[in-house]
Parts: sequence; structure tokens; C-alpha cells
Amino acid sequence: VGAVWLALVLALIVLPSALGVSLGISEAYMWVLVKTLEWATIRIEKGVKKSQPQMLKSPAANGIIERDETPMEKEIARLHRVDFEFSDIFYFCRKGFEAIVEDEVTQRFSSEELVSWNLLTRTNVNFHYISLRLTVVWVIGVIVRYCFLLPLRFTLAAIGITSMIVGTTMVGQLPNSSVKNYLSEVVHLTCSRTLVRALSGTIHYHNKENKPQKGGICVANHTSPIDAIILTNDGCYAMVGQVHGGLMGVIQRATVKACPHVWFERSEIKDRHLVTKRLREHVADKSKLPILIFPEGTCINNTSVMMFKKGSFEIGGTIYPVAIKYDPQFGDAFWNSSKYNIVSYLLRIMTSWAIVCNVWYMPPMVRKEGEDAVQFANRVKSAIARQGGLTELPWDGGLKRAKVKDTFKEEQQKNYSKMLVRNGSIG
Amino acid sequence: VPPTPSPLSFPPTVTSEQIEHLHRRFKQLSRDQLTIRKENFDSIPDLEFNPIRGKIVHAFFDKRNLRQESDGLADEINFEDFLTIMSYFRPIEMNMDEEQLNRFRKEKLKFLFHMYDSDHDGKITLQEYRNVVEELLSGNPHLEKESARSIADGAMMEAASICVGQMGPDQVYEGITFEDFLKMWQGIDIETKMHVRFLNMEPIAHCY
Repeated sequence: VGAVWLALVLALIVLPSALGVSLGISEAYMWVLVKTLEWATIRIEKGVKKSQPQMLKSPAANGIIERDETPMEKEIARLHRVDFEFSDIFYFCRKGFEAIVEDEVTQRFSSEELVSWNLLTRTNVNFHYISLRLTVVWVIGVIVRYCFLLPLRFTLAAIGITSMIVGTTMVGQLPNSSVKNYLSEVVHLTCSRTLVRALSGTIHYHNKENKPQKGGICVANHTSPIDAIILTNDGCYAMVGQVHGGLMGVIQRATVKACPHVWFERSEIKDRHLVTKRLREHVADKSKLPILIFPEGTCINNTSVMMFKKGSFEIGGTIYPVAIKYDPQFGDAFWNSSKYNIVSYLLRIMTSWAIVCNVWYMPPMVRKEGEDAVQFANRVKSAIARQGGLTELPWDGGLKRAKVKDTFKEEQQKNYSKMLVRNGSIG
Repeated sequence: VPPTPSPLSFPPTVTSEQIEHLHRRFKQLSRDQLTIRKENFDSIPDLEFNPIRGKIVHAFFDKRNLRQESDGLADEINFEDFLTIMSYFRPIEMNMDEEQLNRFRKEKLKFLFHMYDSDHDGKITLQEYRNVVEELLSGNPHLEKESARSIADGAMMEAASICVGQMGPDQVYEGITFEDFLKMWQGIDIETKMHVRFLNMEPIAHCY
């Protein structure tokens, strides 16, 4: 039985990925999935309407409380009678409470809340027992996911990773030549495609004419470790990162023989000049593959784009921005590293329905005259946020673990004091 | 003086869904513990901007706001206390009558009063008011302490004139009592300034 199983997997999945064709199996699966979820949503809506007939209709916005967006100046001017009074305290009091109930930043570090249940146990937070039929479908879903999909995906992942290591080691033995590059591309692409199928990934690529070229730098927003696989599914990149131990280290050492990825030792990565120099050398060589960088530095939950670190934008060369947006309905791709370690994360991904995402390749950007790295970084960030339909935040992703820098605080407080002076309250 | 009714006995204006949201937020802030301490508020980046952050956090632990008979500060609060403080920021409902509205307004103003009256003696003295002004202006290094003082003094004088009228040359204005405080805010609608309104969420069918 084991042999039959393996043979089926190889024939139906691995071989097509090597050749770059699709047998339509995933499409059929997705169609069934979409129909099931639509049915489930309608049933839930019916159930909800029965129990609470007077719910007010308002669109679900990006948050749970209504925010008054009037700028500070207008709001305080409204409250003022003559000059500085108790009234200013209202404004800050309310802002403080709003921040305590819900703040823009902390919510980005936990998974996006779904508007409708997608039949996964883990997302069943708000939704209660509705009907027998729905529960039965859910149970079937659990069986399908854990007993059928999980072993299948695990097998595929194992095949993918093993062939990556074996393949790149073999290719790495060849002398440098165009044949070697071609074979290396084939190996990388096949393994990437296998791994994407291991996650039941459905990826829609848009604007392929803007795909990153050799000698360029590809930047994208970061949601999970899978982002790299999503992009390498459609093209070859030179990865940039730190050398790890364990399985990851083995993969890194094998692949770097076949293709010039840029791996840094832990000590090297602290030296920013060294990092920039090596990347600059790589980019200057127009025959080398484009490098892939995630400037946010950490995983964000895919509803917003946070501050891009300027380091990547100081290297020079052409930047190819890419926006990645996952559809949370089928599976949550966000890696909440403070809550889950990598193994439980991968387990969750492999027991979700699917990973569905959209990738937009955007026209290349270069640094303008008189623009510094920070401004350039912000410009690219806005473009990516706009394309992917994500909100843009000036905050640093490092806030996941650290506190706000004092410089940020002082800015806001300065604004407020400046306003008082202007109103003539002082002197 | 009859004890004020607990906020949860008001007509149900908070839905169970909102309470669930607040509970999740509470768990996030408390890092899955049953109680919150002052340090837990340090993890909110948006709050760092707020000049009166100290007073706001303090308000959560102020026993007068928690409707406890004793005085002073609590070390830690549980979810029920958290809800009690949140209830001060409930928006007004359409179906409230005159008496409820008055009580509502008084509650909110009392909350604000406690923020100013840091020594819990029932009066806002000149020094206490100066403290608040200094905190509000604390971020700006260009403003000297003198400016903060003159603002505070000016405001206290105005308060005195509203509450006591013309003062004799040897009359001393001790401080703003709660009744005076209420008088100052007469005619000004603060209820709409001091509330946080929840959005309603319900499942929306996705069409593919």
C-alpha cells in the first residue's frame, strides 16, 4: 500500500510540478471548498438572524470601536471656551481609553479576525452552535483535514525538501556554466512547486511583466516564513539570511553550492557595513539572480504594512516591489512567533483548508535625486500597501517585542504644546 | 446618600459580544493572568504618546472609581473591575430619561474629578491643578515650569469666579469641590466627548 501511495503522489503531483503543468486537482478541490464555505456562511447568517433580530447594520471596519478621526487641533479648538482649561483633559482621556480598548499596533501582531466562520475549530471564537448539519460538515472537515490532507501534505513536504537538498548538492558538483544555472533553476522551481502543493497553495500572480530582473532587489511585505516559497514558486531568487543550525542549515549549505544565495554568519549580520557591502557586490553583478528581502524585519498579520527598515534601501540598484495578500478565509498564514513555535505553526498550516493568496509584481523603483534612504523606503512601502489593499503604519515591527522609542513620544507631546502657544494661552 | 447602582444593573447597553471583545483585550493585556497590574499598561504603544498616561492608568486602580468603600489604590484589578472602569465611557443611549442622563453625566464628571484630585480629599487644590497642567505639557522642553504655573493659576481664578463669585480681599479659595466642579460644566455637553462607542459586527456572506 505504501508503495502505491508513493507512486500516486509522485505521478500526480511531483512530476507535474517538475514539468510546470497542472492537472487541475487543486482547482477542483478549491471549487468544492468554496461552495462548502458559502453554504456554511449562509447557514450561520440564518442562525444569527433568528436569535438576534434587531442587530444594527454597520460595515465591519478595521477595528472594534468607532474612532473619531478629527485631528487634535480641531477637537481641542471645539472644546475650548476662552483659553486653556480642563477641556484638554477630555481629549487625552478619551484617546487614552481608546488605546486601552484597542490599539492600532498590538492588534497587528495577532491573527486577523474573520467575519464569518470558515469551519476550522481554531477560528470558532465568536460563533456558536447553529445547526446539526453545520456541525456534521465541520466533523467531516476535521477528518478530511487531519486524516487525509495532513499525511499527504507531510509526504509532499518531505519529498520537496529532500529533493531540494539532493538536487542542489548534485548540481553543485558541476563547474560554473550556463548549464549549471539552468539545472539549478529547474531544481529550485520543482521543489518550490512541490512545497506549495504541500500547503495546498493557490497563488494568483498579477502583472508578471514586472517580475524582478537579474541584478535587482525584490522587496515584499512579510507575513510568514512561507512568503519566500510563494515567490520562488514563480521565479528564482537569491535568498538573504542568517545561517541556522539543524535542517535549515543543511538546506542552506546545499543550496548555496548550486546558486549564489547570500547567507550570513551570526556575527557578520551585526556589522551593517559588511552586510551592505556584500549585498552591493551581489547586486552589481548583473548575471546574478535578484535578491529577496523582507524589510519589515518581522512577521505582521497581513492587514497592514509596518515600517520598512532603511538598510535594504541603501544598497542601491533597482527595487522591484511585490505585494503579497493572503485570503484568511481558507487558512491563516500569519506566524505569531510569540504564541507558536515553527513546528506548531507548520502543523497549523498543514491542517488548514488551503493557502490562497494574491501576488502583485509592481513596476521597478529607484531612489530619486535628493531622496534619502528613509524617504525611499516609505515611498516603496506606500506603494506596496496601496497595491495589496493593506493599511499603512509608521510603526516599527520591532514593537512586537520592545517598547516605543522616546523620540516618538516627544514628537506627539511637542505638537500639543506648540498648539497651546499658538492659541495664545501662554504669555 | 444612597449608594450609586452598579453600572451593570443599568439597562443592558453592552452586548455580550462587546464583553467578549473586552475580555479578549483584558487577557491580552494581562498576558493570560486573572488580574492586571500597572505594569501591564506599558505594553500599549499608542498609550505612550499620551501626556496624561500616568493619570489614566492610575484611574484604573483608584478605589473610588472601583466603587469600593475603602480609599486609596488597588494593586491589581480583575476583569470585573476593568469593566467597571470601562463603563464610565459608555455612550448615552437614545432611550434614557432625564434622571438617568443626569446620573450618567454626574458619573463621568466624578471620574474626571478623581483624576484631578490626587490626594483623595474631595477638593482640587491649586497645587493639584498645577500638577495636571505640568503633565499635559511635560513633553515640550521649551516650555518652562513658569508657563505651566501661570496657566494653572489663571484657570483656578476663573474657576473661583464661577463658583464663588466676587471674592473679598482676604478670602482664600481653598479648592474646587465636586459641587463647584459640576457648576463649571453646567450647560456644556461633555457626555458626547467622553465616550467610546463599539462598532457592531455580524457575519457577512462572501460572494466569490
